[in-house]
Amino acid sequence: MIRRALAAAFAAALATLALLAPAAPTAAQDAFPAQPAIGTPKPFAVPASESYRLPNGMQVTLIPYGKVPKATVSLRIYAGALNEGENSWLSTFTGQMLREGAAGRSAADIAEAAAGMGGNLGIGSDEHETTLGLSVLAANAGDAVRLVGEVAQRPDFPASELDRIRQNLLRALAVAKSQPQPAADAALAAAYYGTAHPYGRPYATEAQITGYSLDDVRGFYQQNFGARRARLYVAGQFDRDAIKTIIEQVYGGWAAGPERLRLPPQPQPGPKVLLVNRPGASQSTVRLAFPAPAAGDASDIPFRVTNALLGGSFTSRITTNIREDKGYTYSPGSGIGHNPGQAMWTFDADVTTDVTGAALKEVFGEIRRLQNEAPPQDEAAGIQSWLAGTFILQNASPGGLIGSLATRDFHGLPANWLESYVPSVLAVRAPDIQQLTRETLPLDKMTLVVVGDLAKVERQLKALPELRNVRFRRVTPF
Amino acid sequence: MRVSLITASLLAGVLAGCAGQPVETAGMPPAEPVATPPAEPAAPSGLHIESEYYTLPNGLKVVMSRDPTVPTATVGVYYGIGFRIEPRNRTGFAHLFEHLMFQGSAHAPKGQFDKIIYSAGGINNGSTRFDFTNYYEVVPSNALESVLWLEADRMRMPVIDQTVLANQQGVVANEVKVNVINQPYGGWPWLDMPQVANENWYNAHNFYGDLADLQAAKVEDSKEFFNSFYRPNNAVLVVAGDIDYAATRAMIDRLFATVPAGSPVQLPNIAEPRQTQEKFKIKPDPLAPRPAFSVAWHVPERNTPEWFAMGVLDQILVQGQDSRLYDKLVRETGIAGGVQGGINIGLGNMYNYNGPMLWTVGFIHDPSKTREQIQAALDSVIEDVRTRPVSADELARARTKIRSNLYNLADPSTRFGLIDLLAVGALWENDPNWVNRLEAGFDAVTPELLLATAREYLRPTNRSILLVQPGAPGAPAAKSGASR
Repeated sequence: MIRRALAAAFAAALATLALLAPAAPTAAQDAFPAQPAIGTPKPFAVPASESYRLPNGMQVTLIPYGKVPKATVSLRIYAGALNEGENSWLSTFTGQMLREGAAGRSAADIAEAAAGMGGNLGIGSDEHETTLGLSVLAANAGDAVRLVGEVAQRPDFPASELDRIRQNLLRALAVAKSQPQPAADAALAAAYYGTAHPYGRPYATEAQITGYSLDDVRGFYQQNFGARRARLYVAGQFDRDAIKTIIEQVYGGWAAGPERLRLPPQPQPGPKVLLVNRPGASQSTVRLAFPAPAAGDASDIPFRVTNALLGGSFTSRITTNIREDKGYTYSPGSGIGHNPGQAMWTFDADVTTDVTGAALKEVFGEIRRLQNEAPPQDEAAGIQSWLAGTFILQNASPGGLIGSLATRDFHGLPANWLESYVPSVLAVRAPDIQQLTRETLPLDKMTLVVVGDLAKVERQLKALPELRNVRFRRVTPF
Repeated sequence: MRVSLITASLLAGVLAGCAGQPVETAGMPPAEPVATPPAEPAAPSGLHIESEYYTLPNGLKVVMSRDPTVPTATVGVYYGIGFRIEPRNRTGFAHLFEHLMFQGSAHAPKGQFDKIIYSAGGINNGSTRFDFTNYYEVVPSNALESVLWLEADRMRMPVIDQTVLANQQGVVANEVKVNVINQPYGGWPWLDMPQVANENWYNAHNFYGDLADLQAAKVEDSKEFFNSFYRPNNAVLVVAGDIDYAATRAMIDRLFATVPAGSPVQLPNIAEPRQTQEKFKIKPDPLAPRPAFSVAWHVPERNTPEWFAMGVLDQILVQGQDSRLYDKLVRETGIAGGVQGGINIGLGNMYNYNGPMLWTVGFIHDPSKTREQIQAALDSVIEDVRTRPVSADELARARTKIRSNLYNLADPSTRFGLIDLLAVGALWENDPNWVNRLEAGFDAVTPELLLATAREYLRPTNRSILLVQPGAPGAPAAKSGASR
């Protein structure tokens, strides 16, 4: 599953769809009709949007859309884990403290104000951004823009709430450490990015969280929040002139602050096998990773098609094989995580312990098969159509549109990137897919993580020819 | 993901208000065109979903709802059989059977169903809930007829043999492992609480299924289950989106009218007795690093004034950061970092069930907080709403939250939330316009009714408490005072 919002005018030449017309009538000896023809899809145009900058550098994007009397507001600030230096989760700590009071209003006042608009203020932090947003009844769009602006620009950071937020983070950390998926993700991140880069340290330590002071939180905020790092998106129903005026009033005085930080990681090449012991686990949690084309690269879109065909859709080869044929797992899937200037392809699955080796054998086999042979034209065309069709689903709601446009802007992709997405998807040729699988997924450069009952799993892995010459490293991911 | 007990989808949103389980999230529902008031951001005027409704001679109920905003069509087939009702020695069978319905049909061999839909640019999924099992798809509207063809074919004749049964037994066992067995707090509270709070076996068994029961399922079980429950006279077909009413009706008549009806469906008695004594249980969880507290109350019967009042109480007490329990348990006492709660939590929402149901609240906390402290904090909130009228402002805010959520239905993305409400209206009220009356039901709730509802339904003797205790079964209780 591509985690990105994609784009495109679905209009374009879906001539490929002709291939999907009536399957040859099967041995139907009864009166049930043959499969109907699937014609040509109607065009879908990405709703128009307007982007501009305030004099202080903040980017604003307005997307009037839909018949539903609601509006979604999302403010994204380039202040995330990337900006933490050594201080893991300080951006999260800061984000959580934002809602505890702003401009003299208490956390309860802020929550009641949001609820009175029909929304709930969500604040989240990831590797790159802190995001504040809510979805409200349309009549309250302006108030939502104001509320978000107040919390982002005038936080009070009340000392009285600091320890409570700290305890929440410690609890959340403890829960994450007890789950196999975060363990696999942490082990992969450390091995792939190296722990010198923030990407390689997705979890904080208890000692770090315990040690953060109010000054640390204030300091992170002051050093990282500001207009030049901010993008505001408003989608749905709103009065465009009125909202522009409010945005100018609320955000026009925000200090420009620093430029966005660029800190590219240096991924560590494989082959690597990292094992995390989880005694008694009924399943093994697997991550298989390779570097992938960055967003906007020439091979970006062709690789997205490759991913969907190989493991990124329900009808993909890997899912068909290890789920629908073998029954080894419930939710296998591959995807591409795009960071600025680079990307990582991962295959994820939780497979029954006894068939961990058998499942990986099939995954490697499917990668190799696609390296050795271009996919049949109809299989590639089907996957391309799927990406084109799901593009509509991703962009048919205000929240989805904001996601797509924010992603475009995050990667600095061309303004027409959404409009060109579907044509680009449909232009990919089957031999491109084979070629990209060869270039991008060389099995002798894999990074593999397995979290499971190693007493049962390790010898299954040892038996795999692909892993024969790779040193297995047992790690403790947290 | 796909074909889950709860829900899930390949893209973002689906219906359920999942809470407990660590899987997917709930989503944004979808939509209708005619759904809304004029563009003017004026005072909210109420949700109206347009639809056409009729019943085929074989008993299949059909709902069509047009919204051409986006050139896609959404299809849902809802069978009136949920996980409450399954053979006693076959726990989890309703859900296993849901998987089997994807394994091929007379004219579409295994794999074709997904291939056709995906290759047309669509997605599909299914889910098993308390009182229905649904199958749903959204595709570019040019592929609508093929989707109807696929649904009609499997309604007539799914192909279920030992090979596909064994395959899906493996898949479902893996689903249970990834969501429950290999997870801390797996199944808490959404799967566990009904087993604690309910008396009637139909409401109180393990809906995901015992792995041994799942493994024991036979091909013949599938045939019997299909013949008993998966007939057109126990189903609703919903088609929404970029459709033409007359053309769509013609397709439906051509494809579904010849599906043979079954015998009238006999459902067992699923009633629950009125609870008169508090229940209590401790669940040891060797994987959990912290204790957890959960409590549930039986809710008023669906569609009654008290049920609407319970929906408002849910908003006031636990939905959002302005709610009273969030204020008390998170901001004031710091017992938890967040509170999950709701009617039909983790397995749906307050609209999509038809029978006894619970309102559940749960949170993970530190062992330094004793059960007594937690209970006192919780009781202070619950007793207040049982003894003091809610203010006009707070009631208005609760209604605003409900209205804002209902409007999300009109969002034309996947429309899965929209077809869900239309389908359950048709299934249980024989009226898809039921959705259009919901707001009026909430608007009729008064502070007096809230008080009366809270007094009766939020009684201590109507509640069940379930604690998660870290550690192996039989291990000494942690500091969290799991005594009693």
